[in-house]
Amino acid sequence: MRPYFEKMDDFGRALKEGEIKRAEENVKQIKEVEAGIDALVAQAKKAGMPEEKINERGEMTVWQRLEYLVDPGTWCPLHTLYNPADNKEGTNNVFDGLGKISGKWAVIIGFDNKVLAGAWVPGQSDNILRVTDMAKRLHLPLVWLVNCSGVKLDEQEKFYANRRGSGTPFFRHAELNQLGIPVLAGIYGTNPAGGGYQGISPTILFAHKNCNIAVGGAGIVSGMAPKGEFDNAYVEDLIDKTRHFKSNPPGTPKVHYNETGFFRYVYEEEKGVLDGLKEYMKEVPCYNPKFFRVAKPAEPKFSSEDIYKLIQFEQKKVYNFDEILARLVDNSEHMEYRPDYGPEIYTGLVKVDGFLMAVIGNRQGILPKGYPEYADYPGIGGKLYRQGLVKMNEFVTFCSRDRVPIIWFQDTSGIDVGDIAEKAELLGLGQSLIYSIQQSCIPQMLIVLRKGTAAAHYVMGGPTANDHNAFTLGTATTEIYVMHGQTAAVATYSRRLVKEKDAGKPIEPIIEKMNQIAKEYYENSRPAYCAKYGLVDEVVPMKAMRNYLVAFAGSVYQNPASICPLHQMILPRIIKDFKTIKERQAK
Amino acid sequence: MEVLSPFSGKLIKVLVSQGAKVSEDDEIFVIEAMKMETPIYAPCGGTVKELKVKENQDIEADDILAVIE
Repeated sequence: MRPYFEKMDDFGRALKEGEIKRAEENVKQIKEVEAGIDALVAQAKKAGMPEEKINERGEMTVWQRLEYLVDPGTWCPLHTLYNPADNKEGTNNVFDGLGKISGKWAVIIGFDNKVLAGAWVPGQSDNILRVTDMAKRLHLPLVWLVNCSGVKLDEQEKFYANRRGSGTPFFRHAELNQLGIPVLAGIYGTNPAGGGYQGISPTILFAHKNCNIAVGGAGIVSGMAPKGEFDNAYVEDLIDKTRHFKSNPPGTPKVHYNETGFFRYVYEEEKGVLDGLKEYMKEVPCYNPKFFRVAKPAEPKFSSEDIYKLIQFEQKKVYNFDEILARLVDNSEHMEYRPDYGPEIYTGLVKVDGFLMAVIGNRQGILPKGYPEYADYPGIGGKLYRQGLVKMNEFVTFCSRDRVPIIWFQDTSGIDVGDIAEKAELLGLGQSLIYSIQQSCIPQMLIVLRKGTAAAHYVMGGPTANDHNAFTLGTATTEIYVMHGQTAAVATYSRRLVKEKDAGKPIEPIIEKMNQIAKEYYENSRPAYCAKYGLVDEVVPMKAMRNYLVAFAGSVYQNPASICPLHQMILPRIIKDFKTIKERQAK
Repeated sequence: MEVLSPFSGKLIKVLVSQGAKVSEDDEIFVIEAMKMETPIYAPCGGTVKELKVKENQDIEADDILAVIE
């Protein structure tokens, strides 16, 4: 299959001087949003105690641990701004990402020991479940930096229990172990109760000498108030007892190394724990990349900085998706699947870091005359029509058969609507695409380049495809909503306007409400909101998108659960044959 | 060379005037259709000999928008 993949078709072109000049304001607008996101990230990282205070205690912060652990230049952070419960601490208290350790990709997560000594807080368990799901989908080791003081007691009702609560990750760790996916844990600090299970549930435990893991802590001096409520006499007694209470925390290495042997290793130094993790990562299953690479890795021919000039910040403006893709894939080469069918959708094979990957994305702009073929109105890119939906169904099915991981790019305003569209079976074809994705057996990722709207956001490999979407990225131009805010305002208030008008009442208050709803939609769809509430797993700079594609490609091909021999693939042959037929017809 | 409208819609911006000099790929018109704005670029460099449209005018596919000499 070398002739198929070693040299694919070139695509993309260098930007012209006029295009570069015209884009100045656009670049500025995008970079302003990116700077705003950077500021929020810096704030989230600084949450809690200052680094110096932690260091004075002889401890490293979670960020210092991550920096020491992860191979330089490979860290792709995820969920940095995820704080769905809007915790006043400004964080959900875990940080995670994809990164290489000792040359191998891993999903890595650590408690922020600067904030409440790494306590469980609202919203955190959902972050952890996203991470365990990601390890499962990518079939990658999960590496934990455990440093968890247990439940933040005054908010326990929000996260302690429940189906996706703070205890659920322990079952997910068990599930990963059942699937043959190792969970390695470096353990620091005091980890009572929930923290104890954070420590014990992984596969191999690497302990720092000062750590402990235990069913419960030793800090509870007395139980419940015997009179059923607290009074002065009781608390005076409590003060006295507390003054004289001394206890060593249970579950130190003295017990869990010397007695139970739960800790595989104990280290004198904090860095020793991380060195231990690095040593073990050398031994985890990992194919040499050459086993799966179809060509030598190559950078795109065009600069990723061009993307700032190509994608349009103004949502009404069109751009050329293929030009953006040419700035993300190896050597700016591709094999496009059915270019003459479903013109609103790009489907094709590309190489990322030498690995074969599939891409599906929305094209923009007015579509060729006569399309969609079932209607008497023109088609516009970003919207989905019958052929595009059929094409995506076919492509996903072939990718699954050939075990080619998929990268989705969304900039979609939704699926075509109306009776004509219903007759063209678009509702059924949208759900068919959901079926095609769900029955596939390949990891997928998504970048919401600009709009993620209506059901199209679901059917085009969105995070709703929870079993397959490993992670979803946003950019400075991302907007996610069920419909545009102005459309929502009209849908909500148009009848009310008629009523008020007919009743001779002033319509200005309704106009005010319409503007308010449009404003709220705008604010609640922007990148920072999407990151905070988990609509995307990270907002990344345009120029960093390729880093995530490389991390995704390296991850899925590191130790895949299922493979298709290259010479038994069918999709590249179909692409070749369509092309040959077209060339013959042209002659 | 004639600059044709690629599709029907509303011409929302005219960015050149008659007699103006343009370079190839200069943005010269913006058409709004299906709620999206599509720029129209000069197909070649030269002088705008004729400007056949005005802002906010409805246009059909293949209408002549301008002639560049």
